Formats: sequence, structure tokens, C-alpha cells
Amino acid sequence: MQVVVELFGIARARAGVAQTTAVGQCLGDVLADLAGRFPLLAESCIAGRTLRPGFTANLGGRRFVTAQETALTDGDTVLLLPLDGGG
Amino acid sequence: MASPIPGFHSCYLRIDLTTGAAQRVVLEEQFLRDHLGGSGLGVALLLKEGAAGVDPLSSAAAMAFVFSPLVGSPLTTSAKFAVVSKSPLTQRINDSLASSGFALAGKKTGHDAIVLTGKAPRPSILIIDDDQVRLESAADFLGLSTGETEHRLRERYGTEFQTATIGPAGERAVSYATISHDGRHAGRGGSGAVLGSKNIKALAVRGTHRPHWAEPSALVELARKFSEKSFGPATAKYRELGTASNLLTFNRLNVLPTRNFQQGSFAGAAAISPEELGVARERTRSSCAACTIGCEHLYGLKNGKGSVRLEYENLFALGPLCGIDDPEAVLEACRRCDDLGLDTISAGGTIAFAMECVERGLIDEPWLQFGDGAALLRALDLIATGEGIGRLMALGSRRMAHEIGHNSIDFAPQVKGLEIPGYDPRGLQTMALGFAVGSRGADHNRSGAYEVDFSEAVDRYHVGPESAHLAVETEDKAALMDSLILCKFLRGVFTDFFAESAEILRLVTGWDVTADELRQTARRIVTDKKRFNILAGWTPAEDTLPDRMLRQALPDDARAQLSPERLSALVRAYNLARGWSPEGWI
Ligand code: SF4
Repeated sequence: MQVVVELFGIARARAGVAQTTAVGQCLGDVLADLAGRFPLLAESCIAGRTLRPGFTANLGGRRFVTAQETALTDGDTVLLLPLDGGG
Repeated sequence: MASPIPGFHSCYLRIDLTTGAAQRVVLEEQFLRDHLGGSGLGVALLLKEGAAGVDPLSSAAAMAFVFSPLVGSPLTTSAKFAVVSKSPLTQRINDSLASSGFALAGKKTGHDAIVLTGKAPRPSILIIDDDQVRLESAADFLGLSTGETEHRLRERYGTEFQTATIGPAGERAVSYATISHDGRHAGRGGSGAVLGSKNIKALAVRGTHRPHWAEPSALVELARKFSEKSFGPATAKYRELGTASNLLTFNRLNVLPTRNFQQGSFAGAAAISPEELGVARERTRSSCAACTIGCEHLYGLKNGKGSVRLEYENLFALGPLCGIDDPEAVLEACRRCDDLGLDTISAGGTIAFAMECVERGLIDEPWLQFGDGAALLRALDLIATGEGIGRLMALGSRRMAHEIGHNSIDFAPQVKGLEIPGYDPRGLQTMALGFAVGSRGADHNRSGAYEVDFSEAVDRYHVGPESAHLAVETEDKAALMDSLILCKFLRGVFTDFFAESAEILRLVTGWDVTADELRQTARRIVTDKKRFNILAGWTPAEDTLPDRMLRQALPDDARAQLSPERLSALVRAYNLARGWSPEGWI
């Protein structure tokens, strides 16, 4: 299962890209895939298969998700972004 | 007088500007414990002064500069002060916060607050040197920008004095004029107009009184832990990118207010994003005094014109909201607002509203078009001088709409007269509730309900009454942070906010304060603000959003839709969750 991953804020700064693809059946798989390919992103945003505190994910711009078992379908878009939007 | 409570001076300074008389007024321990400092103490003092029923620009109006028990302590981000008054923009309570040396020096004058009443006989600088108070002529300072005023005051009085100044907008009582200190602003609601109407161009404060702490060693140790945590991931966004990094996130989520809230996304967002600006321009960082986070990011203007602080709210209001994607124009507009002493959100919101009025043929000012950076800059100058259409725009979008008529109030981007910050409420519906019930109007600093929308707790497109308590919780947290005072950008480092705040306050004051007590205190402060508003004439009909946001989905995101009935149900649930009547009477 391939998904598009869009990165925002610190996640983008750490990964050095605005967008990439990743593979996995669930959010945990995708995070692990990203962590393997982007060590700096992992250091700040991903601990194994879960998001570190201060970060969240969103499916397709609509639903916020954090549980690693969140099921994904082919072609989904996963946004990785800082948790608080304040400013 | 009994010795002061640790963390406090147990008194405030009350100055009658008409006569120049200054009086030291005792603050009882229970009063301080009930209201803390900052916003909480300020509102309580204004209630005591009977300020709710008075025209905020009249000489009878009272305004308060309020410090807090934490000011001067080693706790990171604690060098803050609140300016509390009735707002000329909303005619409701207004508590604006700002940071840095003015808070430290102001508290060292030996007072927990400075309350101003009356009106100086002529334009003046108010000097407070410990408990010595005097007025000096401001004739040489009239018309100067906030920065230039501060610079010249430093030359005249020396660097030991810290100053809070108004710009030309405050002198002319623009309804959303700010009070500025060291480039930061007590920004929202027009406190600069209130100070200007008292004939005060600036306050200069200096003092020698340091409060003591109940448990100094433990406080230093706790402060060290908070400072360490403030270097962690919870604040990385603020340190490394600044709040402006919200822009592309909000754009992707279709909640970036664009062209006066006609859209939730902006095609030109990338061009003005900090990611792009950081590549093309020099970027430096700065911070308030006593802060280990340092969220301020300054971007260079072209042709050696210096640099300007850029935050998300400035960027959204002077960029997408006015349809402008020219980074130089946006940065120049930010700087002009700083210089003139204008609240960027209200300035951008009012100009965007005027641009839509032009588009609809309601105003005959063909030069004022969405997307035109030169028009934005011209509009800002007109607001400050009051010339031409500037006279109307200086009133804010609500009063401007009332003068224009033609149901333009339906798309004036305001709640209770305060222009809406950069969160489209249709796609962030817990925030929609927070905006509708906000005591000072639509306000992201007094309700952090967007945090709920950015979580799994709700479906941000379909928030129901069962989620109203979440909006209450974020508002209570904000009320406590604004009264302790700690910077909101520190909130991510707390694990148990009320319990850890209680521990901080215990070490500062020696009180056996608990998390439960602070929850009650926060609720009391929110209720005090409501009490003030009721005395000022509040009615339940005010707790709403502009008609456009209740009757039209976002054109670029059909899921983002509210209705009057759904918002009413949310407001009713909020009122009940607060223990008020369903309509909101306390
Ligand atoms: S985080 Fe930013 S606004 Fe808050 S105290 Fe520090 S520099 Fe000031």
C-alpha cells in the first residue's frame, strides 16, 4: 500500500522535503518507513512506529489521527504536522 | 502595612492624570489569591473602579497596567504584563498582554499594578520612578512612531527606564491602536487609543523594589527544569520557525482566511511562507526578556530597510486576508503597523472588509483592491491619519459596516467588534464556539479551542454540544496563564497544567494552593470578565459569528459549514458547562 506523505513545519524542516511517498498498511508502518529514510525526522517527530509528543498526523486534510494501527488505503494522503497550531 | 505576600508588593499605584495625584492602594491577600495578577487582577481592579459603565475614551475611564506574582522570578517567559481596560473597539472588556523589560521595571516600582484614571491636561510622558510620579510634556514626541518614541525616550531618560508608548494611531484614538514596548505590542482591542485619549504618549518606569519568593531555592530548581524542557520538542516550532510556519499548514487544511474570509486557502501562500522567505532573506531570531524559547523571527526588508518581526497573525492578516502574495508588501505592512501602533489583525481585517465593499460597489474607492500591496500600505497610512476612507477604517469593521449599511455587517469579519484572527471557524468548529463566546470578541489568545480541532477529540467539521466542555477547558487554561502570567508558547511543556501551575505558585507565594483551587480561580476570572461585559451592556445576541460564516460553506471546502442553529446549540452547551443560564447570564 503506497501513500503520499506531506510534511509541514518542523517535520518538513527535518526531512528536508515537503512531500514524499511511504508504504504500509497502517500509520505505524508509514511512520517506521519514514523514520528509516529520514533519521533527522525520526529524531524529532517519530519514535519507532509512533509520533513523538508535539506532533500529529492527519488523513487527507480531514481527520486527525495518532494511533499507529490506523488503517490506510492505497492512495491516501497523510499529513505530518506540529500538534499545536497556536500563534 | 503588613509585609507583602511573597511574589507581590500587596499594593497598586492609582494615578489621577487630571490632577497628577498618585495614591498607593493596599491589596489584601485574599483578593490577590482570588485574582492572581495580569488579566485576572486587572479585571477585578476595573470592576472595583466601575469601569464597565464608562466610555473607554472618556477621562473618567480607568485602565490598568498589571504585573503578576511571577514577574521577576527565574521562571522562563514570565516577564509579562497585561493592559486591561474597556475596549473602544468592542465596548467590552479588553485584556492585552505584552512582554519584556517593561514588566520587570514596572514591578520594581513596588506595585502589582498601575491604574490610570482621568486625563492629563496636555500630551504627556508619565514618569514613574519607584513611588515618585510626574508628568512631563510630550510635545517633542507627538507624531513619532512607536520605535522612534522609545528610542528618544531612552536618550532622554536613560536605559534604566523602560517605556510603553503609543504611535500616531493611538494619538488619534484609532479603535485598534496598540501600546508598544521594545517592538512588542499589547495589541488587541485598542488599549493604545485609551492611553492616547488620556493624553499619555508614553509611560517610563523604573524601580528598585524586588519582591521576595517564599521558597527561593526550590523555585530556582523548578525554573531550571522548565527552562530545560523549554529547549525540547514541544517548543521547537516556535524556536526554529516561529508561528508563521502555521501558514502552509492552515492553507492545506483550508482554514487560512483569504480575501476577507471568502476562501479558506490562498494560491499565493507559498510565496509569503517563512519557508520561502527564509531562503530569500536574512533571518534573525530574538526573544523577550527572561525567555529561553525565543519565538521571534525577524526577516530582512529589501534595499537595506532593516528587518521586521513576522508572526502568523501578522502574516495572515496582511497577506492572504487581503489577497496579497508579495512578500515585500506584507513585510512592509507589518513594519508600518508596528511603527504606527496598529493591531495587525484588526487593521488587516478592516482593510480586507473595505476591499470586499469596493468589490461589491458599496464604497467608491477603486484603488482599494484585493491583492494590491501598494493599496494595503496606503490604507494603513490613511487609517493612522484619518484622511479619506481612513476615517471609516479607523473605526474597525463593525462600526464601518454600520455606517456603510447594505447588510455589509453580514460579512464584516468580527465578533463583538473584534476582528477574527487567522482561523476560519467553519473548518475549526470548536474554535467557532471559542470565538463566539469570547469576552473580548474573536480571540485565539483567550480561547485555545483550535487545539481541540487539531486533535482526535472532535471532527472539526461537525463539532457538537458534547464538546463544549473542551472549549471551556482551553479558555480556563488561557485565563490562568494570562493571570500568572506565563507565555502561551510554554504550554506544551506542562504535563499536568493546573497541578504544575499550583506548584509554581506555591513556591512563589507560600500559599498551599492546589490544582483544584487554580481551576476555580480560572473560572472566577472568566466569570469576572463576563460580569464586566454584562455591566457594560452585553446581551446573548452578541455571542455569535458573522452571518456569512453561519450561512455559507467555504467555497473551497464544502465540508466547512456551520449554521445558526448549530452554533446556538454549541453556545448554549458552553453556557451550561460554565454553570451559567442557557443564554449566558451568570
Ligand atoms: S516564547 Fe516568544 S512571545 Fe513567548 S516569551 Fe518567549 S520570545 Fe516572548
